[in-house]
Amino acid sequence: MFESSLCQILFCVLAALAMLCAIGVVAFRNPVNSAMCMAVCFAMVAAIFFGMGAQFLGIVQLIVYAGAILVLFLFVVMMLDIHDENHSSKTGWHAVVGVLVAGCTAGLILKAAISLPGATDTPCPVKTLCTSAGELLIGDARQAAPQPVEAAQYGGALPELSAAAAARMENPSISAEDAAKATSISDVKLIGKCLYTHYNIPFVILGFALLSGTVGAVALARKIRKD
Amino acid sequence: MIPLAHYLILSGILFTIGLAGVLVRKNIIVVFMCLEMMLCASSVALVAFSRAQGTAGVPVYDAQVLSLFITGIAAAEVAIGLALIVAMFRARRTVESTALNSLKD
Repeated sequence: MFESSLCQILFCVLAALAMLCAIGVVAFRNPVNSAMCMAVCFAMVAAIFFGMGAQFLGIVQLIVYAGAILVLFLFVVMMLDIHDENHSSKTGWHAVVGVLVAGCTAGLILKAAISLPGATDTPCPVKTLCTSAGELLIGDARQAAPQPVEAAQYGGALPELSAAAAARMENPSISAEDAAKATSISDVKLIGKCLYTHYNIPFVILGFALLSGTVGAVALARKIRKD
Repeated sequence: MIPLAHYLILSGILFTIGLAGVLVRKNIIVVFMCLEMMLCASSVALVAFSRAQGTAGVPVYDAQVLSLFITGIAAAEVAIGLALIVAMFRARRTVESTALNSLKD
């Protein structure tokens, strides 16, 4: 319980930082500041991926988004020598409409997320942490009420990862005892297995898309000679 | 553990902040950054669903592969988009989206 509430608090901190940086991207006038905020936002999202047990995707997120894409953005911002957006009086209704549309969408998504079955069952992490820390310190004999776990509560807590089941999935011929000895999930092996069997052709097509994208970018950004 | 709903709320809020940025900002480079943020928010939702739908403690890796594809496509999109922005800057000497009004005039 103690560990789980710590996880929850960590998630809240990371999520708050990610949202703060996302607001920073929109709010800063200078595009360089926006790009830096975007990097921090993506790094926080990568940390949340690590927390969800998707280590490979977290690393990819860091390398591709916070590494490659950020460098591209900064490169273009520096190359084009852009001045800060000048404040014109015509932006008023523009901003109001934008914020209104975004607010409505946010309300829709939040309502849908909260109304999932089991979404509101989780106790407040800070309260749980305080009670369990108090019990550790004082040695309170009062037992915490056992939380009933419902498998059908779709929106509730995510199921625990099981290294044994992952080991069996990775290598179906492994014996049950050997599978039980597995202590960690090798995320990369399982993703690779899925990627190179079921999604082999889409993966190759993605490679072609990247190649044609790069060639197209070079062709577009090239200086056109007038003669 | 953290419920699925919290991840979905985070993803929704990131998505809508990105949407607000796309609608409000005029600098095309910042609009583009906000688009990237929307893609990133959708990957958070996908990974959370992959955990929630998993059977016997193994996530559904199809969702994570799809998330990987999103990252790859985002990289290609950024390359093309920034090249287009550079081309636009060469033609117009500005990156404000309101400057593109030659069809209106």
